[in-house]
Amino acid sequence: MNAPAPERPLPTPTRESQPFWDGMREGRFMVQHCAGCGKARHYPRPVCPHCFSMESTFKEMPTGGVIHTWTVCHHPFNFFFKASAPYVVALVDMDGGVRVNAPLRGVTEADIKIGQRVKLGFEPVTKEITLPFFVAD
Amino acid sequence: MAHALREKAAISGVGETAYTRGTPKSGLALQLEASLAAIADAGLDPRDIDGVVPYFPGGGIAEDFVANLGLPDLKLSVFVPMGGATCVAAIQTAAMAVATGVCKHVLISVGRTGYSGARVSTRLQQFPQFALAAEFEAPIGMFAPAQLYAQGARRHMQLYGTTARHFAEIAVVTREHAILNGNVVMNKPLGVEEHHASRMISDPFRLFDCSLESDGGAAIIVSAADRARDLKKPLVTIMGVAEGHPESPASIAQRPDLLEFGLAKAAPRAYDMAGVGPKDIDVAEIYDCFTFTVINQLEMLGFCKKGEGGPFIMDGRIRVGGELPINTHGGLLSQGHVVGLNHVVELTRQLRREAGKAQVKDAEVGLVTGYGDMGDGSVAILRRAA
Repeated sequence: MNAPAPERPLPTPTRESQPFWDGMREGRFMVQHCAGCGKARHYPRPVCPHCFSMESTFKEMPTGGVIHTWTVCHHPFNFFFKASAPYVVALVDMDGGVRVNAPLRGVTEADIKIGQRVKLGFEPVTKEITLPFFVAD
Repeated sequence: MAHALREKAAISGVGETAYTRGTPKSGLALQLEASLAAIADAGLDPRDIDGVVPYFPGGGIAEDFVANLGLPDLKLSVFVPMGGATCVAAIQTAAMAVATGVCKHVLISVGRTGYSGARVSTRLQQFPQFALAAEFEAPIGMFAPAQLYAQGARRHMQLYGTTARHFAEIAVVTREHAILNGNVVMNKPLGVEEHHASRMISDPFRLFDCSLESDGGAAIIVSAADRARDLKKPLVTIMGVAEGHPESPASIAQRPDLLEFGLAKAAPRAYDMAGVGPKDIDVAEIYDCFTFTVINQLEMLGFCKKGEGGPFIMDGRIRVGGELPINTHGGLLSQGHVVGLNHVVELTRQLRREAGKAQVKDAEVGLVTGYGDMGDGSVAILRRAA
């Protein structure tokens, strides 16, 4: 008997983060901005830590950014990722001011550098959920 | 004026179980076994305990301690949910409780079935602090601390030239110390080449850069200093203790500086409370979930400048007999993973001069840290006051 295929771990959007995930599904990188002082914040949360306003809007931000750091995951820790290991996960300073952690594709490990330009891509994995990834820009 | 908490509390008892891979005992049983050992070490009766800080989530709650130890009048039940920073931060909570007279003797314990029970990526799902990681990191393939902390280590290497050789030094020296201790999971020598040849877990962390998944328990008792003076063992006082929480506490990814976390805030406060500085420290037990983590913490503790932690630990400096002996018991890397409470047990024994073959000569003042939960930090400075 074959074991069932391991399931991909998926995010469970919250009342705060739903607009971010809705944006991802539409291929738009939406970041929460304070309606009071205008500052961007990620990950989404109810109160602005700068001016304590509870009003916010989600704005579409550019998908470019530069690599802050990275890791190469060899041991998968979750069976779903066993087939894709080793995989690179890059932490990227987005041009709009927040960071995004996502798999970096199509770049050789030896060529990765801090400051390297990359671009966010959108990968639909279910009807509801689209996950981010990066490619060289 | 001296800080109100300076030397008002003491570590009066310490206890451990055997550190193993494989046990029929539950996490609760391990906590209780270590607790009974710590109570006996202090020369107390279990019914003297009137405050408990069990490890959460770890299979034990205050009710279990009342039911098993027959505690007649428990006055304080607290969880300190700070991951690896929990145990040393709990010392601050306990010290406040005994210094103010709320409690007489507070028990801090950890029991863990990290090898025979649930493994790390499963365990972490129990932590409410990991909710953000579960939503934003796990779906893209980042589950375990080994992965999440690896990005900071990689950045340190790129910015400052820290190398795998530096990481190996921590692993190799820690193993040497474990062999001196004896009650350890890893009891065979480790060489630099063997470290470098071990399989990659999450670059730059290899297998021997990562702490153990092991079974075991540890416990300590914090008492008011004037009470502890009359107990069985030489007096070891808490000179300074502090916890610190970083910016973006639940997400490493969004932290402005990945190499600056809670310990950077806690360390100056603990030194200030203690009235001592890094130069006064004779022995240090540094939370070693990863080899690199030790290097990074030594910088935040002021033993060296930011970025200089790699070269600092080389050339025998951190060995027993060196200028700053570190993790003289074998740490989480080689002794066992009980969330760093074994570090507190070891520092107390060092200052009592009970550390056997790993004894640091004339150790008077020592430092112990906790680190975890995406970057929380804690530090205590202890003194032999006997």
